[in-house]
Amino acid sequence: MQFNRILKKIIRTGVGKSRYWMAIIGLGVAMLLILVALQVHTDFNELLHGSRNQNERADYLVVNKLITNDMMGKPEKTVFTPEEQKDFAAQPFVEAFGAITAAQFNVQMQADQLGFQTLAFFEAVPDTFLDVKSDEWKWREGDQMLPIVVPRDFVNMFNFGFALGNGIPQFSETSIKSLTPEVIISNGMQQGQFRGKIAGFSDRISTVLVPQSFMDWANARYGKGVAKLPSRVVIRVKDPSSIELKNYLEQHNYSTDSEKTKYNKIRGIVQTIVSVVGFFGGVLLMFALLVFSMFIQLVISSCRKEIRLLVTLGTAPKRLQRYLLGQLVPVYFVTGVIALIVVSAAQWWASGVLAKHGMFVAPYPGIMTIVATLGILALVYVVNLVTVRKEIQAHT
Amino acid sequence: MQIELSAVVPVPLRDRIRQRPSDIWDREVAFQPGQFVKIKAPSGTGKTTLVHYLYNIRYDYTGTIKAGGKPWRDYSAAQLAAIRQENISVVFQDLRLFDQLTAEENIELKRVMNNKPLYPAGKIREFAEQLGVTHVLGQSAATLSYGERQRIAIIRALMQPFQWLMMDEPFSHLDEGNTAKAAQLIGQECRARNAGFILTDLDHDQHFNYEVTYQL
Repeated sequence: MQFNRILKKIIRTGVGKSRYWMAIIGLGVAMLLILVALQVHTDFNELLHGSRNQNERADYLVVNKLITNDMMGKPEKTVFTPEEQKDFAAQPFVEAFGAITAAQFNVQMQADQLGFQTLAFFEAVPDTFLDVKSDEWKWREGDQMLPIVVPRDFVNMFNFGFALGNGIPQFSETSIKSLTPEVIISNGMQQGQFRGKIAGFSDRISTVLVPQSFMDWANARYGKGVAKLPSRVVIRVKDPSSIELKNYLEQHNYSTDSEKTKYNKIRGIVQTIVSVVGFFGGVLLMFALLVFSMFIQLVISSCRKEIRLLVTLGTAPKRLQRYLLGQLVPVYFVTGVIALIVVSAAQWWASGVLAKHGMFVAPYPGIMTIVATLGILALVYVVNLVTVRKEIQAHT
Repeated sequence: MQIELSAVVPVPLRDRIRQRPSDIWDREVAFQPGQFVKIKAPSGTGKTTLVHYLYNIRYDYTGTIKAGGKPWRDYSAAQLAAIRQENISVVFQDLRLFDQLTAEENIELKRVMNNKPLYPAGKIREFAEQLGVTHVLGQSAATLSYGERQRIAIIRALMQPFQWLMMDEPFSHLDEGNTAKAAQLIGQECRARNAGFILTDLDHDQHFNYEVTYQL
């Protein structure tokens, strides 16, 4: 456009070249930092919650009180009182809450086929918390057959630890299921005998489980007659790595499988790093905006006489604004697009690398990242527009 | 577009004006569209000040100046810009060319300031020829003599549509011959637009057939 070509000779934007490039570079780096922070945040969330990365086992946590030296020998201190149970169950991160009922009787198991005899213990949880679906998982008073669920870890311990060391053959899960060890329960005075039947193997709850109905019956019959408060509870949570859960457990001195919640430590670290990176990006963005504004002020005040004359001759101030913004906008628009392309390339690369390790993140940048790019560009535009308008008004 | 002055008194000249009669200051004056108006004034009586008031780039006066029935104060920046592109053109006494542009670019700036230029680019050369400044068109305005600058400023003012042309001692640095040529061009352009002008000068002159003459 002819008019703008002449304007270019009148309004020398060259006076603040170094400032201008500082502002552009600052803006570019600031945008990279902010976009990377947002993208990492998005990716981490996807790793934790995305359906492709779902770790089924992590949803259930067995929680007990941490046993300290003071508590030793005082089992009443390790139980969950009804108030504590109610409070725990009411927490927003707890989707389901169940008490683990401990047996109040002794258990002895004999597997004659193996020449194997051991003391044992039983616990029971509400059926909904069990990951073993089996028709055999029921017991009614009078039944001789007692279904038992053992943790899969026990099978491994038996096969790879105990059996090898004692010259006992290793067993497959199917063959273990066919065993019918004798189960003797007693309270010292009375005793009852049952045929045990391994109904399944649980990944979820590391204890030896019997049906709740059997536990209730046996506790009433062989126990001390008083219902005991649970010392372990099982909860279902949406996100075992949530910070709220971690804080709640710490506050109440509860303990759980740290393997399952170790993510919250990593997550805490990642969130801190991401926040710090985002914070520096924000600070840098502010400085870039400041330098931009200084550049505009410098350019306008260095040719305020010319601008005044242009307006005197009939140039609309709006047109001067548009011209000045037109000199700036394309450059930082390109800066923004380059920042987004760099982040997209990094994301694509990271997605490939993570996929090799069985972790899945989207190969393209998240919505938040794109929205942030547009948001930052809009912010820069508005700040520049306001500065240009103010400066031109001040000099005409 | 009628231009009306109502009891206009420049604040810096207030005391001097009270002592001396004037046809313009502190009077009701209306410049009718299409009039060729001469304002004769000795030095120091506020000639340039008046032109700046009429073109609305100075505001230190009491009273009201209306353009098209509306006081200057009520015009927005955008409306003023439109008026200066379409309705009122000006030749300043100090000319006000851009030194960083060539003579031709100074004129071209005014021509293309309006999105729909009144004249094609060739008109610049045509007018320059009439006023004898073709040879300086490519030179930086900073290197021109005052007379050349004056003629460039006149051509610049004629590049746009207008109803009024304000001129502040436009021929002060031109010899008789060049003044006659410039006056002829100005008269011709004003008549082509059915436009009037307001010209200030120190003395009487016969360059135009003035319809009204005021003593400032």
